[in-house]
Formats: sequence, structure tokens, C-alpha cells
Amino acid sequence: MRKTNADGKSWLISQAELEAWLDSISNARSLIAPRQVSGTVLYRPVSKINEIAWPGGRPGKSSASPRPVLSVKEIFFPPTERLFKIQKTGQEIHLEEAYPDWETVVFGVRPCDSRGVKILDALFLDTNPVDSFYARRRANTTIIGFACKEMGPTCFCTSVGGAPDDAQDVDIMLYETEAGYLAEAVTERGRFLIPAGEWRETTNSPETSITIEQFPVPENGKWPEHFNDTYWTRMSERCLSCRACAYVCPTCHCFAIRDELIGPGEFDRIRCWDSCAGANYRRLAGGHRGRPEKAERLRNRFFCKFYYYAEQTGLGNTSACTGCGRCIDVCPVGVDITEVLQDLERPA
Amino acid sequence: MNANPLMPTLGRLVEVRDLATEIKLLRVEMQNGGGADFQNFQPGQFVFVSAFGLGEAPFGIANAAGRGPLVDFAVARLGSVTTGLHELDVGDQLGVRGPLGNSFPMAKFKGRNLVVLGGGIGGAPLRPVIQHVLDHRGDYGKLTILWAARQPSLLIFTDEYAEWQAAPDTELHLTVDKPEDGWGHSVGLITQLLEKVSPSTRNTTAVTCGPPVMIRNVTRMLAGMGFAPEDSYVTLEARMHCGLGKCGRCNLGEKLVCVDGPVFSMAEVGNLLESY
Amino acid sequence: MSFEPKIIAFLCTWCSYTGADSAGIARIKSPANIRAIRVPCSGRVSPELVLRAFDQGADGVLVLGCHIGECHYETGNHRAAKRLPILQSLLTFAGLETQRLRLDWVSASEGERFARIATEFSDSIRELGPAHWKVPAEPRAVQEDAFTWGHETVPYPPMDFASKTEAIRRKAKELLESGQVGCVIGYELGPRQRTRPTFVYSPEDTGRLVWNPDCSHNLTSYLPDKLKAHSPGQPAPAVAVVVKPCDSRAINVQLAENQYARKQVHVIGLTCEGLRDKQGNMQARCITCQEAAPVVCDTLIEGDSSGFIPRLSSSTDETLVELENAAPAERLEFWLSQFDRCIRCYACRQACPLCNCPTCLYERDDSTWVGLGIGLNEKRTFHLGRAYHLAGRCVGCDACERACPVNLPISLLNQKLAGEIEKAFGFRAGVAVASSPIVTVLSGEYKED
Repeated sequence: MRKTNADGKSWLISQAELEAWLDSISNARSLIAPRQVSGTVLYRPVSKINEIAWPGGRPGKSSASPRPVLSVKEIFFPPTERLFKIQKTGQEIHLEEAYPDWETVVFGVRPCDSRGVKILDALFLDTNPVDSFYARRRANTTIIGFACKEMGPTCFCTSVGGAPDDAQDVDIMLYETEAGYLAEAVTERGRFLIPAGEWRETTNSPETSITIEQFPVPENGKWPEHFNDTYWTRMSERCLSCRACAYVCPTCHCFAIRDELIGPGEFDRIRCWDSCAGANYRRLAGGHRGRPEKAERLRNRFFCKFYYYAEQTGLGNTSACTGCGRCIDVCPVGVDITEVLQDLERPA
Repeated sequence: MNANPLMPTLGRLVEVRDLATEIKLLRVEMQNGGGADFQNFQPGQFVFVSAFGLGEAPFGIANAAGRGPLVDFAVARLGSVTTGLHELDVGDQLGVRGPLGNSFPMAKFKGRNLVVLGGGIGGAPLRPVIQHVLDHRGDYGKLTILWAARQPSLLIFTDEYAEWQAAPDTELHLTVDKPEDGWGHSVGLITQLLEKVSPSTRNTTAVTCGPPVMIRNVTRMLAGMGFAPEDSYVTLEARMHCGLGKCGRCNLGEKLVCVDGPVFSMAEVGNLLESY
Repeated sequence: MSFEPKIIAFLCTWCSYTGADSAGIARIKSPANIRAIRVPCSGRVSPELVLRAFDQGADGVLVLGCHIGECHYETGNHRAAKRLPILQSLLTFAGLETQRLRLDWVSASEGERFARIATEFSDSIRELGPAHWKVPAEPRAVQEDAFTWGHETVPYPPMDFASKTEAIRRKAKELLESGQVGCVIGYELGPRQRTRPTFVYSPEDTGRLVWNPDCSHNLTSYLPDKLKAHSPGQPAPAVAVVVKPCDSRAINVQLAENQYARKQVHVIGLTCEGLRDKQGNMQARCITCQEAAPVVCDTLIEGDSSGFIPRLSSSTDETLVELENAAPAERLEFWLSQFDRCIRCYACRQACPLCNCPTCLYERDDSTWVGLGIGLNEKRTFHLGRAYHLAGRCVGCDACERACPVNLPISLLNQKLAGEIEKAFGFRAGVAVASSPIVTVLSGEYKED
């Protein structure tokens, strides 16, 4: 069922109008959209509209198409972020921080991706202390969502409380129609970006998206009883601890902090992505390695996604999984999150 | 615009003391007194100390506030950051971020007897508890300290034992795994010492810190002796990167050692220590 | 302002460093821009050191050791003589001009020779100009169509694998029932009908095992962990593993490197007609495969089909040749545009049967060889370093490339180095139980026991 925070106004626009609008946006500020990068679709800055890898391949067509391999999380929480610069002169230290200039619009964001951003907000913005880098990017980015007409083969957003046309987490939502798009301003910021005077208002509602059958997902409170199951040893045998699943996930947020040498007496303190699936994630300097077994690591990853994260951030009975299915797409050995969830729900 | 919570405050190293083999005590004066945060840090809290250029790592604050303007950390040389800290000279600037984490509920301990068990460098975050009790001696009951190390040269704060023992109603028991010539105290693991000392559980709270194996064994033994989970506390170390509850690394089940701890009662983490 | 090259010279303490000294004592003029680093032996100059020097802005790297036959450690300079040219071909392939790395020999008394070589090198670097190796910090423009695979597509012919599936199940049941092995590692159909690795522990379960054109993953990557001894006094674990000819070569390399003992693994080897890619065509590596049957095998399973698809074209090699013939700047740009989208997840490394280091050199906490950041310099160093560490060991199973979530063409690097090793040493990894010719075995050669 579609959920929306719209102020009630919708507009019908053609492909040409959409392109002209995006064009004007990219002239005034930075526009990020799905883009072909040597054969792989990723969110990247675009300066010309023909650089956009349109959902569906051709504008106006069905939207069951390759989504960007990485989620939109990399815009707000980039793989590497410089925290501050360090200058060491003799015994003295000088620290200098710099924030990137940031005024961005990101286009083509599916509800599963924008839901992921909202979930990250719970940790980076709504839990003290506020993460200043994430906050800055978040405050200066407008999200133009793009509803999915139908769910893809590995999608399961509806099983985790989402929907392919859920407009809650974006600033503007676009729905495909026969003649073009129906646009809704979901937030004030989105409203600001819409050239209301130029667009045709409408009272139409968007078509409901085609969903696939839901399956039950264990409630948060049910996870602790599965902690000691031997199931985890069996299902993790094929896992390579490669961490690809965590990196493409819209809500995995673990990071490492390091000082890197950039010149004589000059260092950058950076943070970069990391994942609990990696074998050395919990290695202590003395040599003790926590979670040495794959089963422990994979169990931790699932527990964090479906139980710990919500506990730590006060999200309530919600999982941190948005059902985007990217982890299923990229796993080289076929670990399938939907299989795990359904196995856990099955009576023993 | 929000302040960057990952930005350290600068401090200057004013004293370095050799505590034991490859373990040093660094005493730092915070720039501008470290601001409000550092005026009254509580026993059990920790900070991130930066050896700029190498990185930062978490260390329990090893002294009680109110004993002077300096902040103490005990650093065992094990990896690149700790080696960098060992190589600092007096007068060098370093970074300190904190105080972070929760603290021992000293108010709740008032009027109770305390058994403090420290293994190796795990004793460092317990020193503020001891110092706090000594500085407010009348507020607390009997203080029994069990202090252990693998060998005598690895015992820390040896020059303070006299002060501890001299305090009223305070006992200090030492043990090492491997004695050296002239060792006149117990030999064996801290669990064996605990068995020997056999403190009463009545109106007593136990506080433990040490390597993971020791924490597991000691807390199990304390439970067997009759210490209720609410009366048995631990302070845990964990691999951390941010210390603010954001980077996800230090979780113990749904708890994060850096924000829900590092001080926990066994009631909170008893069932989670298996994977520690 | 004229360009003064920054040159790092690794000089061995016994010969070339002393040679440099004698040049100084005899007042023979040497270039002043050479920064000397004294090492115990030229054989100690590992590829990571050279790569690090270029990463940090060196314009040229000079390695000078004792003359062959005069090494203080007897064979140290042999190592340098074997390894550095291979590194050089890799760096050239990645876009660094070949002349920027030079290996030569200078003895302790050859002050003049040192001066001459140093001057020659310095002059040649000055002429080449500054090295454009170090990636500037500014963000790069997106390369949309920078690289497409050039290989011709061969549609996958319909084939029936029922007999192979049956044979695998039969053998697995027999091995598990007799207790010869505790586990059979094979393939199964997972949910969504995807073929994936599976571990079968009981004879009743063998019905799960399948063989089909999607049996891609190299199962030997599970062997080192599965077969490592668990506790002293416990019998060594034994497993059976289903392998294709390419996978079986990995077993030989793992054996040569003492990852486990031969008797611990029962190899169920299959002849292979080739595998299918995601588009339904023959996989690129299968089109150019040279092995019809497994090279190491305990049970051989042959199919009904006459087997082996012959080598149809050197299509992947074409892309390789094209790159080799391009100008260095073009190659540099090509690789930068590829590594740009890498996210440094390490899926390539984890999928590889031969990447087994307990702590990867490029994941060390002290960031000695490469920074931790997910930046272009770091990503390139990781991939080049990993390719180098696999030279003479990689068997071309392409598990790395298939695992990559962003489709990096890393098999190109491995193919390039496999070609160089074959050219220089006549060696192909995994055909027999033998170490890579550029790997030094310190504790004795492999012995079958």
C-alpha cells in the first residue's frame, strides 16, 4: 500500500519536461544519478542528461531494470571520508578540519534505497553525538525518488515493511505513467525544487505497483532464541567472508578509522568502510581475535540487521534491512538472506 | 553546524612512568584543562588517545578525578599505536578524545564492601575505583584487592601498594603465575587466589577486569560463590574505532561496549560473554 | 625550472652500497638526486617496496646488487634477478614506463661502474620527465565506455549432464558411507535455482549434489580452512571435493605450498565441456582453456558428450595484446578508470583459492604497504600487489573476476603475469605440484608423504 507525506499536490509531466528540469538542476548545482560506469550502473555525478542510465534502459519503459550496484548510502556516508588533517611540527600538533562543499540533488532513488537512508539517520543523526559529516551531507541533499512499477527478482521490500512505491523517505517522488511521470512533493525541500508554475497539476493517483508475495520475517524480539542454533554453522559454510554484501547494503555502516601519511609530518585521519563479516574485524593488538568462526560473523551480521541495530537506535520492531536484495545479487556463493529469514520462521 | 565528535582535544605529555615490562603510565595535561568534560570524569570511563600519524586507541582512564589536573593512562606496547605512544617524549602533544562510556555506579556501592580483581593491565581501569574509595574512605565498607599478573615484572602500580594497604579496612592480595626470586606472595591464577581469600558475599560487590579468559573464569567463580549478577561488575575492553556507538565494531550482542559500557553488571552481559 | 628526478636506489650493503661509497671516496661524480636506501641484499627488495616508492612519488627506482655468483647470501641476487623483471612487466602493463625501474649489478670495488649506472639512469629519467604514477587527489571524471570485453561470444550449446550428476552422487555416497571422508564439497541448487557450493556430511544427503553448466565457483578455495588440523592428537580431517580441470590445478599449487596433505583430499575430478555465463554464453576462460581433464584426480568422471570445447580464439588475449600495444599513458588511464569503481571489498581475494595469508599484506593495521582508505592509489596498489603475489600461482579460474560486484577485469592482470612467467620460465601454475619459480621456499621443497 502506498504511503506518502505529500502536501496533496501532484503534477503530470512528460519525459521532455523531466529531462529539462533535471538539466536545469544540473546547471545550478551538483546532480547525482544512476550512470553507466564501464558497464556497471552506479550513482555518479552527471553534467548532461544523456549521461543518466535511465531506470528501464529507455525512458518511460518498465522500471524493472538494473539498479545501481551500490546503494545511495555512498553519497551520505562515502567509502572514505577525511575527518581532519594533522600537522606535526616538532612537539606541536595542529589539527585542521574541512568539510566538503555540498549542495546536491540525487535522482532515481528507489524506495528501498531511501528507506536505507532513513535507517542510517537513526544512528548518525538521531542518536547522540550527531555525526557531523553525515549531517552536513544529509542537510544539503535533495532526494528525488523513483517508484518501482514492479518488484525485481531479488526484491523483498514488502516483507520488511517497505513498498515499491513508498514515498515516505524522499523529498520528491516520481511515478511512471503511460505518458510520462506523476510527481509529488513529499517535503518542503522537495517542494522548493519543483517548478510548480510550469507543470500541469493533476488529481490523478499513481498506479499501484505490482508486488510479489511476502514472506514472514522473524520479529525483533524472536531473534535471541535463535542465537545458539547450529543453523548458523551450516548456512555459513559457503560464505567467503568477502564482505561484498555489507558494502552494497543500504544500511551497513561499520567503519574503521586510521591515520594516513600524506607528506612529511602531515597526515589525514580518515574513516572508511569495514564489515563485521571480515575475519580480522575484531582482532586485538595482543592477538586475540573475536568471532574467529564464519558462523559467528555471519550470525552477527544477521542479528545486527534484524535485532541489534533497532535496539541500539530505538527503531522499535523494525529491521534495518530494506529488502533491496543487493546482497543476494552480489554474493559469489549464493548466500540468500530470504532463505535465512524463511528458515528461521519455519517451525524447527 | 554540528561539531565533529571525532575531533580530539590536544593534551601535553608531562610525565612518563615505567609501570612494568613494556607497560608505561602516561600522564597528560589537557589543553585548557580539557574543558568541562574533563573536570570530573568518573571511574570506569575511557578515552581515545591519539598517537598522531599512527592512529588512536581506547584506554581506560587510570586515575580518579580530583587528585590533580592530570589524566593517566596505562599503555602496554602491543601494536603500532601503543608503540607510537611509548615513543613519545615528555613535552610532546597528543590527542585525547572523551571521556567516553559509562562509569562504575560508585553511589550505588556506598556502604557496601568491595572486592576488586585486577589481572595484568586490566588493573589500570580499576585504579580509579580504588583511588575513589580511598579518597572517600568513610563512604565504603571493607576493600579487598586481588591483584595478579603473569610474572612479578608485569605487576602494575607496585609503588602504590603500600598506600593501598595502609588505608583502613583495606586488604591487598597479590599473585603471579610464574614467580621470580624473592617473590614472597601467592603463586597461581587469580581464581586460585580468589578461592584462598574467599571474601564474604554479604553486602559485597565484586568488580573484575583483565584479559577475556580471566573475566570469564573469575565471573563464573564469583557466581558460584554466591555473588548475584547485580552485584558482580566487569569493565570490558573491546576493539573500538569511534567510541561513540557509530562504527559498530564493539558490539556484544545488542550492547555496544563504548556507549552501554565499558562497565557492565553481570546481569546485563552474563549471557553475552561467550562470544567475547 | 628544470625537472630534477626523485630517484630511490636500493643498494645492497655488501656490494653496491660499498661501491657507491668507493665512488664517493675516489671523488667520482655521481648524481646528487639519488636517495640511497641500504638493504642487506638485493633479494630483499620486495615488489611492495618498489611499488610503495612509486606510489609515494618516486620518478625512478634503481636496484643494484652483487654480481651473480658473488652474493653474500649465495642466492639472494638470484631472487632479485627472477622477481624484479616480472614486477617490471606488471608495472609496464599498468602504465608505468619500463625504464623507470632498473636492476643491475655493481660490486664493492666498482665505484666507476656505480657512477656510470647512476648517471645513466638519472639522465634517462630526466629525459622521460616526471612520473605520472601517483594519482592526484581530485575526483576523476566518469569513464562511461572505457572498456568492453572484446571476446567473441560463443553461445552455450545444449548439453545433458544427468550422467555426471549421477556419478557424483554415487561417488559421494560411497565415500561418506565408507567413512573415507567426513564431508563432500560440491554444488547444489539453492533457492531461486542458483547453483552454489554445498557441503554434504551424510550419505542420505547426497541427492543434493548436482552438476550443470553453472558450476562455476572454484571449490578448492574451501580446502585450506576445512583441512587444517584442529587439535593435536586429532586425526587430520579428510574431505572430497568436486573439481573441474581448472580447479584441480589450484590443488597442486595448494599442495606445493603445504596447505594440507595430499591424503586429506579425495579429488572427484570432472572432464569439462565449458561453463555458462550470466548471458547464456560460454564463459570467456572456457573458450581459451587448455585442460581437458583434471591434472590431479582420485576419481575421474567423464560425461556422455565427447567433451572438450576446443580453443576457439584467443579473444581475451586480444584485449591483452591491444593493451600491451597501447602507449603507457593510455594503459595508465585504462587501469585508473577501471580501479576507480573498485570498492575494496576484497571479494576477489576471498574467492581466490590461493590467497590464504592469515593477514593480508594489504590489510595490515599499520598500513605499511598501502593505506587503508578506499582511494584510487590504494586500490590500484592492492590489485597490482595481489596480482604480483599470484604470479606463477594463479591458475586462471577467474573466481576473482566473477566475485567482483563491480565487474573489474582483473583476470587481465593475472593472464598477463601468467604469460610473463611462462615466457621467462616455461612454467604454468598447477600443472604439477611445484612452487612458482619466483617464490622462495625457505624450509625445504614439497615432499609427498
